[in-house]
Amino acid sequence: MKEDDDRTLVRRCREGDREAFGQLVTRYQKPVFNAALRLLRNTEDATDVAQTTFLKAFEHLGSYDPSFRFYSWIYRIAVNEALDALGSKKSFEEVSGVEKDEAPGPERRVESEQMSRAIEDALMRIKPELRAVMVLRHFMHLSYQDMSDILLVPEKTVKSRLYTARQLLRDDLLRQGAF
Amino acid sequence: MVDPGHLELIHAEIDGELDARQRAELSRRLLADPAARSLRDDFQRLCRALDAVAEIEPPPQLRDGILAALPPSPARRSSSAAALRWRYAAMIAGVLVAGTLVFQTIRGPGSATRDAAGTMAPLSGQTVVDTVRMANNGPVGGRVSLYRDGPELGLSLELTSGTPVDVLIASGGHTLRVSGLRTPTEVALPGFPMAGQAVDVTFLRAGHAVGSATLRAPKGQ
Repeated sequence: MKEDDDRTLVRRCREGDREAFGQLVTRYQKPVFNAALRLLRNTEDATDVAQTTFLKAFEHLGSYDPSFRFYSWIYRIAVNEALDALGSKKSFEEVSGVEKDEAPGPERRVESEQMSRAIEDALMRIKPELRAVMVLRHFMHLSYQDMSDILLVPEKTVKSRLYTARQLLRDDLLRQGAF
Repeated sequence: MVDPGHLELIHAEIDGELDARQRAELSRRLLADPAARSLRDDFQRLCRALDAVAEIEPPPQLRDGILAALPPSPARRSSSAAALRWRYAAMIAGVLVAGTLVFQTIRGPGSATRDAAGTMAPLSGQTVVDTVRMANNGPVGGRVSLYRDGPELGLSLELTSGTPVDVLIASGGHTLRVSGLRTPTEVALPGFPMAGQAVDVTFLRAGHAVGSATLRAPKGQ
């Protein structure tokens, strides 16, 4: 069981086993990096966020409560770090202004790769808190309960944000001619 | 305009959250509502496209970079690390107490509330009496626990905030403020009563409340 493995690795880390932490990094570096990348859309920033996430996790491992799932805990750190990084760099409106120029024109029928690009563009045009639920749901495939644990908001709020985000994305893609 | 009830069912269907009865209900509604059908098709298409966005491999040097940047001390509560942490916290508490005394002296008597720094409570003999996991929309997350340590109360704060926050603790006519918290901290609440009253904890950043939690003190000594 993955959860049991995580608990064992965390316990070994707490006992000073750095290799165990290396295994946790190996296991979670890809989802953590991808979550940061989808939120920030910048490889360098996503790499920084992933690095900071794991360093903070290591630093605070002593306070981690093993009754919670490790991935929820580390994803929460990652999402918070990414949102902080986003807030400290530029507002989402500024991102929107930059990305709009690169969006496909209304007459252009996008294929699979172009659709992905259009979606990534559209994601950058919605509020970070809405983007976060889209990333957790559609890129990390987490349940409502997991998202609620990670974002520290009730499931009802998770659903509300998710539905709003989908609506905004759908409307945006229609306007861009991607649909 | 699609009925909100239809919308909720459409999203729930996409997320695989419908039971048989709800699925039948959605089918019935979609048959009668072409706009809802069209919207559902759009959402399904959007979500398929979202799920198809490829994962990106992290930079190959990421793992090694993380491991190379780890601090030398292991991430555990060793006795020496704990002793250092207590010493450091006691030093901070001392500074806060001194600052508070200076502030009180300058401000003079007459205030009903009392600002004082928390002191670090000992680990032994603590009994947790209430715990709140913060579920707010603000930037402060984590867990707050109220514990009893002999005749006194204490607060254990395990915050996931990325930046330091100030904490205002108010209960039974007593007020305590601790500044610049970030790492897990325990704050003693000397003089706070144990009468089953609420203990209100407010998290502040730049003077603005960014989260709160309410715990319940035990009754009696």
